[in-house]
Amino acid sequence: MDVSQYLEIFIDETSEHIQALSDNIMALEKEPHDMDTVNEIFRAAHSLKGMAGTMGFKRMQHLTHTMEDVFQEVRSDKVQVNSAMIDILFKCLDAIEGYLDNVKNTSNEGTDDNEALVKSLEDYLNAAENGGAAPEEKPAAAPAPAEESAVSADAAESQEAAYLSIELADEEKDAIRASLNAGQKVYGITAYIDKECLLKAARAFLVFKAVEEFGQIIVFHPSSQDIEDEHFEFDFSFFLATAETDFDKIANAAKAVTEIVDVLGGEVDEAFLSSGKADEPESAEETAPAVAEPASQAAPAAAETKASGATNAPATKNKPVAGRTVRVDIEKLDSLMNQVSELIIAKNSLVSLSNSTDGKGLTQQEATEQIEYLERITTTLHESVMKVRMVPIESTVNKFPRMIRDLSRKLDKKMELIMTGEDTELDRTVVDQIGDPLQHLLRNSADHGLESAEVRRERGKPETGTIRLDAYQEGNNVVIEVSDDGNGIDTEAVKAKAIERGVVTADQAETMSQKEIIDMLFMPSFSMAKQITDISGRGVGLDVVKSNIEALGGDVEVKSKLGEGSKFTVRLPLTLAIIQALMVEVRDEKYAIALASIETIENISVTDIKYVEAKEVINLRGVVIPIIRLDQILECTPEKEDDDNLTVVIVRKGDKLVGLVVDSLGGQQEIVIKSLGKYISYNKIISGATVLGDGGIALILDVNVLM
Amino acid sequence: MTELEMNEDTAMQYIVVKIGSEQYGINIASVDNIIRMQKITRVPTAQFYFKGVLNLRGVIVPVMSIHQRMELEESEITDKSRVVILRIEENGLLGIIVDEVSEVVTLTRNEIDPPNRDSRSTKDSFINGIGKNGGRLISLFDITTIVDQEETA
Repeated sequence: MDVSQYLEIFIDETSEHIQALSDNIMALEKEPHDMDTVNEIFRAAHSLKGMAGTMGFKRMQHLTHTMEDVFQEVRSDKVQVNSAMIDILFKCLDAIEGYLDNVKNTSNEGTDDNEALVKSLEDYLNAAENGGAAPEEKPAAAPAPAEESAVSADAAESQEAAYLSIELADEEKDAIRASLNAGQKVYGITAYIDKECLLKAARAFLVFKAVEEFGQIIVFHPSSQDIEDEHFEFDFSFFLATAETDFDKIANAAKAVTEIVDVLGGEVDEAFLSSGKADEPESAEETAPAVAEPASQAAPAAAETKASGATNAPATKNKPVAGRTVRVDIEKLDSLMNQVSELIIAKNSLVSLSNSTDGKGLTQQEATEQIEYLERITTTLHESVMKVRMVPIESTVNKFPRMIRDLSRKLDKKMELIMTGEDTELDRTVVDQIGDPLQHLLRNSADHGLESAEVRRERGKPETGTIRLDAYQEGNNVVIEVSDDGNGIDTEAVKAKAIERGVVTADQAETMSQKEIIDMLFMPSFSMAKQITDISGRGVGLDVVKSNIEALGGDVEVKSKLGEGSKFTVRLPLTLAIIQALMVEVRDEKYAIALASIETIENISVTDIKYVEAKEVINLRGVVIPIIRLDQILECTPEKEDDDNLTVVIVRKGDKLVGLVVDSLGGQQEIVIKSLGKYISYNKIISGATVLGDGGIALILDVNVLM
Repeated sequence: MTELEMNEDTAMQYIVVKIGSEQYGINIASVDNIIRMQKITRVPTAQFYFKGVLNLRGVIVPVMSIHQRMELEESEITDKSRVVILRIEENGLLGIIVDEVSEVVTLTRNEIDPPNRDSRSTKDSFINGIGKNGGRLISLFDITTIVDQEETA
């Protein structure tokens, strides 16, 4: 059966379960005897096993199954949780994640068996058994490969139907005899199900339904309850009492059910019942192995032909399947639906108004009312759609506690991570991409920020260092702060390094403010780690963080106090698709500037423009701000003589200010950002375009490029 | 599929447009839409032959002056001028300004001659066939070259 349509759901849910496992194992480490946590882990492992099995990922299934077994033992108190076990469990999680990554990229789980991990898990199980526990069901060895290897040439020949070897209980025999005595025919039938089949019980049910057209099933094997619970391999048998004399009819009806590979059977008579099979206890022992054998041989044999066709299928579609989806709360969709229906009502009332007033059209007042109504609806509609794109940052940040735990071990420093505001919502695109920069900042804090326990003790700080990740919304921005109570940034060391690297001269360094020095950390290839560790400090540090965050339309700032710690503040826009913008005009062209980056708007007399290093600047309340003439950058024609007064839009990036000279100002407007397409190559200063109310287009200026 | 790969009897439809004084054919399969001239917003520092972008029902479409692209003399925008919106796989829409859209013709393989490659003018590098329709000759555009060269430009 083709399961590719379920892949996306599988990937989504597996990630959730992995996260749940990770959280709970962390919790378990702190409180090894909390049974609720153990149960949670057991359930998550169990779900994972089930899902992996359904999707046919045998290796993943095997691993999770073994994990489940271990927790079964923990639940029954036969195995104690210790830190070595926690380590193994985390390794298992990583392995499962590895499988998941393979699935995402290739639709396949890959070939890593992770035998070492399974082995170490099994060691715990064995320990439990040796500890005098009741015999424990051995973890099922990877079922599929085992079976397939069992399929040999002679197995294919063995086509003896499984029903022939069934041990019948006395009452079952009686039932068959009763039917025979009543003049009915009794057929023993074995049906073989396709090995790829997922809903075996449902198929069995359909087979029963089909054959019950002909008569009554008097004996099920395995029992009907077992069949319902799918407690059977790939075949099942039953005895049918019927008046139908043509067995082929019955067999064909059963075969018509999809995914039934073959149906074997034949008439049963008194001789069959009294043939002695299973009657005497001693012969029962002999036949017991035989019961299973033909069945398991015949089933793969029958399924083999199909399976060989199916094995090629996964190989051909090895394309990545990771979808870009958002899970939407049904309430959000409901409100969206409501607003759309309101929109339709508004349209209808406009239509009826324009029809009703006998050709005179809408009066001014009616029109205004309707427009206001429409405006209200579109604004709320827009808000709702934006909310649909918003997801909590939780999905990204909740992998960090685990990371800090690992770092704590690796660096041999005591530290804890405190997170707040995980439910802060951001646009899905931003949430997806903010993970790496945040991870980098946290590693940075753990590696460079926090001191070793001895140093902390000397300084009178608690031995365990604290790293905080606080997220909250602030106006149209989301702020995420990563702070630590460690050493802070040693500006003197940074200065020395900068001089050594030739970034600045010693003289320049003397005149730099603390802030300017700290900002140098964000320059490319400026790693402060004294030793290069694999945690941070490969020279691809903060500059990458900075550019990643800026690519998302955000910015990052640092505050630090030597000896007390440092705080990185990441500021991100709520959404990328729609921004508040100020419309400006340059000559007769309209441009939009993101409102978030605008500091102030000033009227400046031409005579106030000064020159520094042949560049135009103004001195605005004591701050020297460079001036950029947009008409020149944008190659506007015709040239225009300066008015006596210039309108200057002061924009900010970080703490740099630049003044943009524009001809006139339009209003503030909410604009939808659209791409200009791939054909046209344009200056980086243009970040996109937007459609205006009159159908015209305004280009959006990215002021970050100007600085 | 280019015209040269066609079978003898496959027929292709071409939209015949006038650019300067010549007739050109555009394979109808690559045409998304034909619209009247509308306001085009200049994009600063774009390639010289791009007139800018226009708004096609909310989608921003870059518009190219095919005259300048082919190094012909720019002609006046008249009532007959049209923007032919081409849909090129994966890269989205692209508009080209033509002087007139006259008709749709059906050409079979027999009626298409290979282009005259002697000439080295830019204009001819966009042509991948000459269609004979009645007494007329129609130069057939190779849409991909308009874009390909543009991408490397």
